[in-house]
Amino acid sequence: MKTLTQVPVGTQVFFGNAAKHRRRVEKLIYTVLKRWNYQEIIPPIFDYYDVFSRGMGSESEATLYRFFDREGNLLALRPEFTSLIAKTVATRLLDWPKPLKLCYSGDVFRYEAPRGGRQREFFQLGIENIGGKKVSCDAEVIQIAMESLQRIGIKEFQFNLGEMGFFSGLIKKIGISTVDLKHIKNLMELKDSIGLAGRMKQLNLSTKNKNVLYSLLNLTGKSKVISSARHLVTNEQSMIALENLESLYNKLKRQKLSKHLTIDLSGVRGLDYYTGIVFKIYVPGSGFEVGSGGRYDNLLKNFGCDLPSVGFTFYLERLMPFFLK
Amino acid sequence: MKHSGKIKSKEIISIALSKGRLFEEVLKLFKNVNIELIDSKIGSRKLVLQDREKNFQFFLLKPVDVPTYVEYGVADVGIAGRDVLLESKADIHLPLDLKIGRCSMVVAGISGTAKEDYRELSAVRIATKYPRITTEYFTQRGVPVEIIYLSGSVELAPVLGLAERIVDLVSTGQTLADNGLQIIEKICDISACLVVNRASYQIKHRAITGLIELLEKSSPIIKS
Repeated sequence: MKTLTQVPVGTQVFFGNAAKHRRRVEKLIYTVLKRWNYQEIIPPIFDYYDVFSRGMGSESEATLYRFFDREGNLLALRPEFTSLIAKTVATRLLDWPKPLKLCYSGDVFRYEAPRGGRQREFFQLGIENIGGKKVSCDAEVIQIAMESLQRIGIKEFQFNLGEMGFFSGLIKKIGISTVDLKHIKNLMELKDSIGLAGRMKQLNLSTKNKNVLYSLLNLTGKSKVISSARHLVTNEQSMIALENLESLYNKLKRQKLSKHLTIDLSGVRGLDYYTGIVFKIYVPGSGFEVGSGGRYDNLLKNFGCDLPSVGFTFYLERLMPFFLK
Repeated sequence: MKHSGKIKSKEIISIALSKGRLFEEVLKLFKNVNIELIDSKIGSRKLVLQDREKNFQFFLLKPVDVPTYVEYGVADVGIAGRDVLLESKADIHLPLDLKIGRCSMVVAGISGTAKEDYRELSAVRIATKYPRITTEYFTQRGVPVEIIYLSGSVELAPVLGLAERIVDLVSTGQTLADNGLQIIEKICDISACLVVNRASYQIKHRAITGLIELLEKSSPIIKS
């Protein structure tokens, strides 16, 4: 028997300064979001299981907290906000002027081993920009994330910027099964050249394709990465992805923000719904990313409307140690 | 040297090392590229060391703890055997094979009976220090396993009848032979890898890629 004083794994309590600071960080970031005209949306804590499982990919799907209601419907606690917001937009807000600018904050739930300050219940704060122009909205979202960090006193940070379209275009041409693709994506993300070599030995890939996948491991750095990547691919989807990435980079460079950017074309892991740019946010000494985001142009199709979208979210528990530091 | 200039640019990189079987070889790798550790004598009890140029800080840890320190970003970089890394499943970058400390992860059993296929058994009982690697290897092949976790002298398990097979590291195969065992299958090659924290890789990108390039040149050339 568990005693009443025992604490379930993955939960935590905030009090004293920790509670005060968290509220303060939330408020400060909201002042930035308000200035950019983002409106708050408060979605439910649970919804039908399928709402979340569709976009997430099978690996993340396993982390859902699911349960049945009395009619036997399968429900789940929200593991993120984006799916819920996509659903709301597709069903209720279609006639609102585009781009829709929405922001949110609240707890999300994932059944994972607690790591890097993130428990099974953790706090997300983020924005979604739905139905706007590609590159300019990508730039806006990244700029807002950077301003938010500065607003809470974090001056040093690095955004690790990738493009899902680049890798998808490449993989489509090569032709790899879903299971192998999952392994390869994971190995790419870890930049594990030996593991990748071992996995590719089992696959029937041409030497040229193998070399291309290998080269991706080193495609990390500043804008020069984009020109190196151009030599590797000929397919249209990858080329368009690189073009998008380049115009985004240049746009942020004009705002003098490119010093905070690293381009990383081997960063290919993440929720399945991402289609275009993806990014992770790092702060010196953080160890783990403190936020992440990206473009998800197909997610709203699941709910019956087709609108390109982009957004990001902060993991507040991971951000807190750097506030007031 | 072209890259040492880049490393000197203010940021100190912390490196997690282990004082195990790899230590001497790792010191040699660093020495080849003019990174010399102070007070690194075997008898020394110091757990934090520096190099002469003060570009790096070294932590001496137990091998299994290296991935943990790197995953949490306490150390930017680490050096550990691939066996430890595969077993830990830490979410860290593995950008470089250092090609030292080379050996294999194998399935072994008693000589003679070893040819008997484990597929005939309903479930294989395996003694190992590597439960994760073992489970993954066998379940991927559809073979149910019962893992018996041991922290040392694994070779004794089949001899005394505790398990039918073992999964362990083998370099020369001498220990196996001395205990009447032989290799049945190789699971994978093992060598020491350089690992990098995900955040450090982005934040100290220049310094870390500089270090990777240096060590790549310093590590032995092996034809595959």
